[in-house]
Amino acid sequence: MAVEVLVTDRDGKGHALEAGGARPLMEVLREANVGVEGTCGGACACGTCHVYVGSAWADKLPPRSEDEQMMLEAIAELVEVRPNSRLSCQIPLGEELSGISIEIGPVP
Amino acid sequence: MNAPVKLQLLLDAQRLERNPFPIPTGWFFADYSENLAKGEVRNINFLNQEWVMFRGENGKVGISDPYCPHLGAHLGHGGTVVGDHIRCTFHHWEYDAEGFCKHIPYAKVMPPICKKQPVLRTLPVVERYGMIWAWYHPEAADPQWELPAIPEMEEPGYVKPRRWSGAVNTAIQEVAENGVDNVHLKYLHGAPIVPPTTATFDRHTMQINIGMGYIIGDMYGPGLNVMRFTKDGVTATMVSYSVPITRDRTAMNMSFTYKDYPQGSKERAIAEHLVAHSIGEAEGESSAGFESVDMIVWNNKKYRAKPLLCDGDGQIIKYRQWFKQFYPGFENSEKI
Repeated sequence: MAVEVLVTDRDGKGHALEAGGARPLMEVLREANVGVEGTCGGACACGTCHVYVGSAWADKLPPRSEDEQMMLEAIAELVEVRPNSRLSCQIPLGEELSGISIEIGPVP
Repeated sequence: MNAPVKLQLLLDAQRLERNPFPIPTGWFFADYSENLAKGEVRNINFLNQEWVMFRGENGKVGISDPYCPHLGAHLGHGGTVVGDHIRCTFHHWEYDAEGFCKHIPYAKVMPPICKKQPVLRTLPVVERYGMIWAWYHPEAADPQWELPAIPEMEEPGYVKPRRWSGAVNTAIQEVAENGVDNVHLKYLHGAPIVPPTTATFDRHTMQINIGMGYIIGDMYGPGLNVMRFTKDGVTATMVSYSVPITRDRTAMNMSFTYKDYPQGSKERAIAEHLVAHSIGEAEGESSAGFESVDMIVWNNKKYRAKPLLCDGDGQIIKYRQWFKQFYPGFENSEKI
């Protein structure tokens, strides 16, 4: 079943994406060319897949791992990191997340 | 009709291996300190793989895996020492002697793991006795003991060590086993008697006493053996530091020294004779040194994990049980 993802890009423009299977959100965003590079491939080493998660959805996600937390702290010196900041490579898109809204975050 | 025979003993030979051992844990000799200048990078082969050895401007020696954690370039081909770091030629990522990534010239944000832990495998290194020593553990665990003090190598008043090096096609455990095999001293080397030998074992150390104090050998893990030959109150010291090059080949290295007795003195003559004796060059002796007779055995033997021993064979099994501690993960191996 497809999972719907509502994206606001850095220009404020909205995109409705359909993703199949339980894939990392980062990959879906990268393929959709909405401003996510995902350079390190999901290793919490680059911070380029930073997103702000819609407030209704932030609590439904698995908590940040130590590696994700450290990467977010590292980019926080250069860009704005908020309580709802996540690395989208660490968000597996299950069906329960269908309809999730996210905003592409700033990267260094 | 004959009684049934124990077939295992007859058929074991078909399954024997020359060297069933992994590389053991311990401190191992990498090179003499004088052979690595500040700023130098060199590829070395030991411990069953290639490593890149370098000395930073601060004098500290690093011994690392060859392949850059970034995109796999070989640090020892084109890599250079920059300050205290080794710099990969490909994208100029820099690593310190502990394997931490210290600099990426074009990264706005360093990957967080670079602060948290080493990303390049390096061996813990110390320099002692004028040598570079590396700690090896298959799972990269920290050193479990320290190298001992060897006054003859570290304090003034001793002659400049005479060195010997060679290589043998067998595993390091097999080389050191001859230390507890006192019987072969008579039959292989031609010593006049089987010298009485005792061995005591304590954690990573083993002490052997051959000929009631004639030779006291202190072994510290697989890679360091300090043997003191004493006659008429004069002691000559042989420091032996074998190191596995591969699982099948061992480099044997030795330094011989003794107190700097006056030239022409009786003591100096005795000490010189003891050194010559230990390497089998003593005149007027029938006993052969290891080079001429041990090599034939080491280079051609296979390892019997279940040897047929007799009552006179001494400490062989105890030695092997002691040595097993240096093969973490192989405690229950039938082959060792």
